[in-house]
Amino acid sequence: MMEWVRRYWRFLLLWTLGLLAGGIALALMGAYSGILNIAASAGHPAWLESFLQLGKERSVKFNSRAIAPPALEPAELVPLGAAHFQGTCAICHGSPLQPVNPIFGHMLPHPPDLQRHATHWTREQLFWIARHGLQLTGMPAWSGQNRDDEVWAVVAFLEALPSMTEADYRRYASGHSKTQDYADAQLVSAGRPRFDLTACSRCHDTADAPPTSPYIPRIGGQEEAYLKRALHDFQDDMRQSGFMEPVAGDLDDEHIERLASYYAAQRPAFRQPARPSSADESELGRQLAEQGDRTRKIPACNACHGRKGREDYPRLAGQSAQYIGQQLHIWRQGGRDKTPHGAMMAVVAKRMTEQQVAAAASFFANQPPWTERSPRP
Amino acid sequence: MKIISHGFLRLYLVIALTAMVGCEGEQSAFAGLGPVSSRITLLMWVMFIAAALITAFICLLIFISIAGPSRWRQKLSSEQGVVLGGIVFPVVTLSTLLIYGFMVLREGENLVHAENPVRISVVGERWWWRVIYLHDDGQTTESANEVHIPTGRTIELELSTADVIHSFWLPAYAGKVDMVPGRINKLHLIADKPGVVRGQCAEYCGGAHALMAFYAVAMLPADYDAWLAKERSGAKPASEKEGERLFFASGCGGCHSVRGSRANGEIGPDLTHVGGRLSLGAGILPNEPKSFAQWISRHQTLKPENLMPPFDFFSESELQALSAYLNALE
Repeated sequence: MMEWVRRYWRFLLLWTLGLLAGGIALALMGAYSGILNIAASAGHPAWLESFLQLGKERSVKFNSRAIAPPALEPAELVPLGAAHFQGTCAICHGSPLQPVNPIFGHMLPHPPDLQRHATHWTREQLFWIARHGLQLTGMPAWSGQNRDDEVWAVVAFLEALPSMTEADYRRYASGHSKTQDYADAQLVSAGRPRFDLTACSRCHDTADAPPTSPYIPRIGGQEEAYLKRALHDFQDDMRQSGFMEPVAGDLDDEHIERLASYYAAQRPAFRQPARPSSADESELGRQLAEQGDRTRKIPACNACHGRKGREDYPRLAGQSAQYIGQQLHIWRQGGRDKTPHGAMMAVVAKRMTEQQVAAAASFFANQPPWTERSPRP
Repeated sequence: MKIISHGFLRLYLVIALTAMVGCEGEQSAFAGLGPVSSRITLLMWVMFIAAALITAFICLLIFISIAGPSRWRQKLSSEQGVVLGGIVFPVVTLSTLLIYGFMVLREGENLVHAENPVRISVVGERWWWRVIYLHDDGQTTESANEVHIPTGRTIELELSTADVIHSFWLPAYAGKVDMVPGRINKLHLIADKPGVVRGQCAEYCGGAHALMAFYAVAMLPADYDAWLAKERSGAKPASEKEGERLFFASGCGGCHSVRGSRANGEIGPDLTHVGGRLSLGAGILPNEPKSFAQWISRHQTLKPENLMPPFDFFSESELQALSAYLNALE
């Protein structure tokens, strides 16, 4: 064998190089000639279909292998994921309430029906696909940077979707929003009533109900200037959220004005949080809020978030501990410092310990929301 | 109060300012404006002149040993010459200078036992000075980045640090003393006559070390008492209402105190009488209304990585109102 190689190696080398060059030339000629029909309507021949499937499966499995999923609490996350799914994903993937839109049904590959296909993937793989998207399929990457927490909410929903009844899905996806039957004339002019992406009450609180998930902020009674700022920040991609950016992107300035003014005028009702805090924790939280921590150079929360704070600073009293804690974590990881206000809070959040984050979050969750409106300057 | 010329303070952005200020005399180690520093200056001159004479003498001996008459050269290389010139001469000269040096230091030591000194605590922070006047009745008054002292009385400075090692250096009155974590180092000095001098952190303490300066204002005892009484009192009710509202609403009081108001933060410099100080940002900006606006909107550029959070969202009119309020806190 070795003798043979030694004798013919020049011959072998020449042939290998020749075949390679020929192959590349053939591929270029094929592409240039336009002979390859990439029409979505043409479909894939069976062999190409299996080849592409193989590539996709292996890529998803290989790239998601290092992901360590956090513990997912379905009751807190499913409503969040469901509302986002209904607002932005269902148009391609379909949902128990709506079949796939025929336009997107003619994509190649077809967006899978996730009621059946979600079980095909593990938790890590679902996360990877939703977080990063898939090339050449039309599946987009997550639109909020550093917001893995949001992607996990969608994963929790996707895991629950296959066993979800239509009524359950409707309850989760619509939240507090309602659709009413239109009279014929209205139907003609306004179209079929549906859960619109920008219907805030799909997720957020109403006059008599809290947000559908503790990870969703209570916006009734919030400062008007703050609400406007938040929506503009989402719109301008200055504040990151895969959930809120598409919603804010769908609003114009006048809508933002009206929504901010509406929510600022709401009078939120107080509900004792589900997770009461220990005596030590509430004392630590009270100290942080009222005095801060001089050794760690953390000013008192109430210096800014107290009753006489600026109109573009948010009110925290009555927000859930989960929401406050989650936002502080985003700040600590550098995910919320693009705006001037965010950059200021980032400095403070990074000085806090994990324990202080939990205590401060719990302290404000236990405060009844303020009912008075701030005076206009 | 604004004794320092405008043109001089223009130099604030220049990092090389230490050297330039040194030339101006305000931060000169040759100034010798008090007994401690003038003794140090005298010691320095004695040492310098003695060293110069010895050097000249050695040069002469070398010349003789190379080119001198053979009789002299023989004397130099004799055992007697080596013992006298190589052992006796250095021992006598160096011992004399050493004893003289100890005597000078001892005279400074006398201040330690002075009765009823003016006690001021200075805490080094990244990158500013917390100045606490310790009153005879046990109470304290906090200020920052400026030390006022009465002339003719012994001043006892208690030097400590809130974070890393700093060094308190007020060359017109005394030598450097380090501020070491966990310790209180004392420095005693006397100012002979009224005047304004500049001091500087003299131990590298992080990125903005070069921008950590302060002013010392020596005043006649009566002026000092009047000044201290005013410094001790709270801020008078603000006439700049909008600036005051912004100051509290924006959370400034979470870190800064304005005594007499609800701003009681202890993290940053006390601002009760900030409008009456000579400089802003620990000696880097002249104290004028536009400096407040500059500091608030650009402090991370003026003093990179300083520990105040960035407040880049104030509008121009808000900055004006805040500046007017702070400038009026005299």
